Amino acid sequence: MNAFFHVYGEYLPEWWPRLMEAARVTAELSSLGFVLALVLASLLVAMVRSRYAVLRQVANAFIQFVRAVPLLALLLALYFGLPSFGVTLSGYWAGVVGLGLQGSAYVAEVLRGGLNSVHRGQREAALAAGLSPYRVFTNIVLPQAMRVMLPPLLNCYVSLLKDSSLCALIATDELMLTARAMSSEYFLPLHIFVLVGLFYFAIAFPLSMVSRLLAKRLSRGRRALGVA
Amino acid sequence: MPEVFASILTTLLAGAVTAAQVAVGAALIALVLGLGLALLTVFTRVAAVRLVIGVYVEWMRNVPALAHLFVIYFGLASVGLRLSPKAAAILGLGLVGAAILCDVFSAGMRALHVGQREAALSVGLSPWQALRCIVLPQMLRLSMPALGNYASQLIKDTSIASAIAAPEIMFYARNLVTSTFQTPLIYATAILLYASIVFPVSWAFNIAERRLGAGR
Repeated sequence: MNAFFHVYGEYLPEWWPRLMEAARVTAELSSLGFVLALVLASLLVAMVRSRYAVLRQVANAFIQFVRAVPLLALLLALYFGLPSFGVTLSGYWAGVVGLGLQGSAYVAEVLRGGLNSVHRGQREAALAAGLSPYRVFTNIVLPQAMRVMLPPLLNCYVSLLKDSSLCALIATDELMLTARAMSSEYFLPLHIFVLVGLFYFAIAFPLSMVSRLLAKRLSRGRRALGVA
Repeated sequence: MPEVFASILTTLLAGAVTAAQVAVGAALIALVLGLGLALLTVFTRVAAVRLVIGVYVEWMRNVPALAHLFVIYFGLASVGLRLSPKAAAILGLGLVGAAILCDVFSAGMRALHVGQREAALSVGLSPWQALRCIVLPQMLRLSMPALGNYASQLIKDTSIASAIAAPEIMFYARNLVTSTFQTPLIYATAILLYASIVFPVSWAFNIAERRLGAGR
């Protein structure tokens, strides 16, 4: 056991800067993917809530379909398949687009659920009080929906962060690919992959905790089964 | 074109068999271990047990599945425990699934009112009977939506096993690409194949959910 940790003492100074740089790429990749997912999801939800049946059906079909496809298949199709149609994306941007597409379906479900959680009486009352439909949305509906949406949105980001590891398979120098390269240089796969797991954990776990605390604040005061 | 498509589909279907084996194997580990951990964490009075299970669940859920597969496949091999790619994929996805289902099942049990169990005990059921006849069935009903999500997630996650060379759908797809160069057609077929597996499974869960009246 001691020998196991001794290896870290010896190599950590060499590994640390490389992994920190890769972690920056991972964070950037997943954040850009998440922003794209938010934009696409807003569009999807606008379509889902539109009064035109065609738009609703297209958006719903898209959401259902994307949720049934593995991200890896999407990434490989974007990275290796698109060049046949004259569109060449680097691994990084194929990753951002893939994560954004995949994420948009899940984020759209969260946004839809959040908006639906606001009682329609809220909207009706605000309209009756003379607010414009735009003000009703930004000042009455959205703030209340935000409370419901925030915890699952954080979870969506954590999912995208973990999923960004698949970009290693389309030659993006993020954490996982860096770890693979290092493991074939140093022949210490166990040490390196556990360490890289810790890097993901260090970003994902605090966010998961915040998400859970926020969710808990929304559902207080219920007696539950079991101890503590 | 139809012949090319047919030959692509046949090759990918061979991968689908492996994918199904990985998914079923992982699901079995996840269900058994997940339920065991959930019962332990909900009913134990020993704080240390809850802490250990909590650390396990958080580690599994906040680290990418790909990292777990690499630790199990490459990491364990380096200390002398050599698993086949398929076995490593089943074990890795199973251990991740156990953490997910532990959360699902324990949330399901905590969502039940304590009165359910207290009433069962007070009418003379043994703790085991109270668990088996009162708590577990209701917990299962409450867990159905999450179980459905988990099932489709798991089927999609089998694609990650291609990264450790388990011969599943994406593995064959990538091999085909390097031998035939029908890149867009191959990946489109793979995507449709996954969708045609995931859709029936999630429909089945939706139907089961409705039958059990989860949405009451």
